[in-house]
Amino acid sequence: MKRRPGRFRAHGPGGPDAALAVFVLLVATAWACGGGESAGGAGSAASVPDSARYGGTVVIAGRADLPGVNPLVPPPDYMAAQFERYVLFMPLVQLGPNFEPLPWLARSWDASDDSTRIVFHLRDDVKWQDGQPVTAADVAFTFRKAKDPDVPFPNRAYFDRWDSVRVVDAHTVRFWLRPYSQFMYAWSQVPIVPEHVLGDVPDSALATAPFGTTSPVGDGPFRFLSHAEGDRWVFEANPDFPAELGGRPKVDRLVYRVIPDEATSLAELRSGDVQLYLDLPPDQVEDVRGDSALRVLSFPSTSYAFVAWNTRHSPFSDPRVRRALTMAMNRGEILRAVRHGLGSVATGPLGPWHWAYDTAWRPLPYAPDSARALLAAAGWKDTDGDGVLDRGGKPFRFELLTAPSQVRRDISVMLQSDLAKVGVALEPRARDFAALAQAIQSPRRPYDAFLLSWSEDLVIDDRDYWSCGHLDDPLQFSGWCDAALDSVMDSIPAALDRARKRRLLRRYAEMVERAQPYTFLFNEDRAAGLRRSLRGAEMDVRGELRTAASWWLLPRSR
Amino acid sequence: MLRYTGRRLLEAVPLLLGIVTLTFLLLHLAPGDPTTAYFNPNIPPDVIEQMRRNLGLDQPLPVQYLDWLRSFFTGHFGYSFSQHRAVSAVIGDALPNTLFLSGVSLVLIFVVGCAVGIVQAVRQYSATDQLLTVSALAIYSVPGFWLGLMLILVVSAPPLSSWLHLPISGMVSINHDYLGPWARVVDRLRHLVLPVIALGLASAAGIARYMRGAMLEVIGQDYIRTARAKGLSERRVILGHALRNALLPVVSLLGLYLPLLFGGTVVIEWVFSWPGMGRLLYNAILARDYPVVMAATFLFGALVVLGNLVADLLYAAVDPRVRYEGR
Repeated sequence: MKRRPGRFRAHGPGGPDAALAVFVLLVATAWACGGGESAGGAGSAASVPDSARYGGTVVIAGRADLPGVNPLVPPPDYMAAQFERYVLFMPLVQLGPNFEPLPWLARSWDASDDSTRIVFHLRDDVKWQDGQPVTAADVAFTFRKAKDPDVPFPNRAYFDRWDSVRVVDAHTVRFWLRPYSQFMYAWSQVPIVPEHVLGDVPDSALATAPFGTTSPVGDGPFRFLSHAEGDRWVFEANPDFPAELGGRPKVDRLVYRVIPDEATSLAELRSGDVQLYLDLPPDQVEDVRGDSALRVLSFPSTSYAFVAWNTRHSPFSDPRVRRALTMAMNRGEILRAVRHGLGSVATGPLGPWHWAYDTAWRPLPYAPDSARALLAAAGWKDTDGDGVLDRGGKPFRFELLTAPSQVRRDISVMLQSDLAKVGVALEPRARDFAALAQAIQSPRRPYDAFLLSWSEDLVIDDRDYWSCGHLDDPLQFSGWCDAALDSVMDSIPAALDRARKRRLLRRYAEMVERAQPYTFLFNEDRAAGLRRSLRGAEMDVRGELRTAASWWLLPRSR
Repeated sequence: MLRYTGRRLLEAVPLLLGIVTLTFLLLHLAPGDPTTAYFNPNIPPDVIEQMRRNLGLDQPLPVQYLDWLRSFFTGHFGYSFSQHRAVSAVIGDALPNTLFLSGVSLVLIFVVGCAVGIVQAVRQYSATDQLLTVSALAIYSVPGFWLGLMLILVVSAPPLSSWLHLPISGMVSINHDYLGPWARVVDRLRHLVLPVIALGLASAAGIARYMRGAMLEVIGQDYIRTARAKGLSERRVILGHALRNALLPVVSLLGLYLPLLFGGTVVIEWVFSWPGMGRLLYNAILARDYPVVMAATFLFGALVVLGNLVADLLYAAVDPRVRYEGR
């Protein structure tokens, strides 16, 4: 999660409401027009016949090198995971717009009614790039490695409820599991890796195996060509990719270039040497919009920014105080100023990207007067007239830990001035990321509050954030729990019925929002800058590269 | 000379050992470790623990230190936590790129700096001299990263973009592998233009100032008047007699400019997406990739020590009065 809490990104005019409207529109378009062009002057595109859409190189600019493309070893990385899932390898299934599993490497599957047994029927026309066929043995191998306690597979939790596997024949594999509503999710996230390449690598050497960085062997729509550390990854179209799944990708080559500096990335996009600029920062969105050769794609992501309150410490143990602090923060204004409207004011732990999100939810209002009244009710009054509230002779001062990025600093300063208006003294303290991560996970919990942004999994299971049984676990930042909430959270994974699951998720989100163990600041949209000559790109919460195999370039731009 | 070189190299050993030891201590004093640098709610604590064990982070500090020393003396510097491969391979990829960039810069800094300085000294107080003095001062005060960004903005926008077609980032073009051998060389050189300017311009301006001063001092000497009195051409007077003596103080600056250059690469490599040591070191510090930070610090230290030694030896080579023998 090196990348996630790292930065805030954004775009767009207008406040949270406008952003929400834009978002709803976006989702609607994305949902509605599955395979079509999602944006940008379709006029000339329509006149290019399918056969003329092949060829050319798409250069993608990313901020940091991919740490590696071996799905079995850490660190988990947002971009690397997408290259693994959509470019180089194939998971058994892909996720549809409502996160429903769609056939991919698995042609079909039969699950028993109680979903405790499942048989996958694999495609028989998929080959590794070294010519070996992809078989059921590879699936079983991937599963066993993921479960192996000696393999540092970062997402082992995906397979918590999966027990065992048996290879039935070359293209059929059977699994046993315990009832679990989102049981297919793991197979959309974890690509299958080749046993004939990795089978001989001892567990301890898996993390350092050249497979991850210099010689991956994939089976996806693109093949690995080369990697120059800190500079670029080059992939080429796989001519043998099954026609039923789209066949050979339209572009000849996909290049991922590392361009750490944002100004340089934008200049490269403008000059035409880069076709897609990932993770476009909020303050560059207007620049990209202003250039007629470029366009912006923005879409909701699972990441959100929040202030975590350490409820183990005195004033923050009082829910009235936490609620008051949230209502004293002008989150809409911060979103506008810092993220240029790219996102929406949060209504709790569940973002609008999720199918269980309730559009009737409204964020707590910005209401400094109500905040002051709540604080007074909790015993905080300015008795000595110094402008800072006090109780029992102690002034209301606290430190807000954060990472030293410009965006974080801007947010901290805006929060500082908002809270000062209700008589609360916030002091921002920046730590570099590794130091911040250590401080907030330390068992001593040496903080009052911290500001962070990070992304959720597509499957919500937040028991590691608030759970009465695990208050000492590293991620229990706020130290807040509720037995009633625990029982709701415990029943979510096993809820097989979607309507019931939606009810439970909403219940969960509302209970957390009521208690405000965090102040959820805003749900963050991601943005990407594209040249208009790059066609066929659709992006949503499932990622930027999902449609990479069907991207194509206008002939004159190749 | 040999004995002197040998002694200086021997003296460098405790110095470098001190550098790496200090780096080691500072690194481990800094809060956080490689596993906290990418914390993720999906990774269960037992996996984190296991990662720490794999990286040897569960060992006491002295043991980790000795382990590192051992791997250092066997020459492979251990394993990079973030790149999952031997540090020697990591460095092997990045170091040539940085040496290429800073080597070319260093040569150009001295050639351009000296040439400008000589012109200024010869035409002291002329309009050219004054113009160059003012611009040198201005350039010297410009931070490299800002200059780099401005260069990118100017070069990538019309009309310069269509005239020059200069690449603004990276070491080679996307189609580099498909070019002929000669075109490849040209491609590499074109990618060098902007980073070298951003990295070296300020230093060249500094050298020009030094060179101007040194040259002026020499030109005022009696033997220059003698040379002129002999009827030598001005060209021979300046380039044959004055230059060699004027170069002495400037050559000794070489050693001082090396650390400046290496420091500069951290920022310049960032701005121009140059996959070298500077960016490697920066990323390694953020990721708490201890072995890479240690190796990179050591190498930078060794290069600076070596640079100083070379400067001292060059000093002896150009100045017959300087003898290191027997001292």
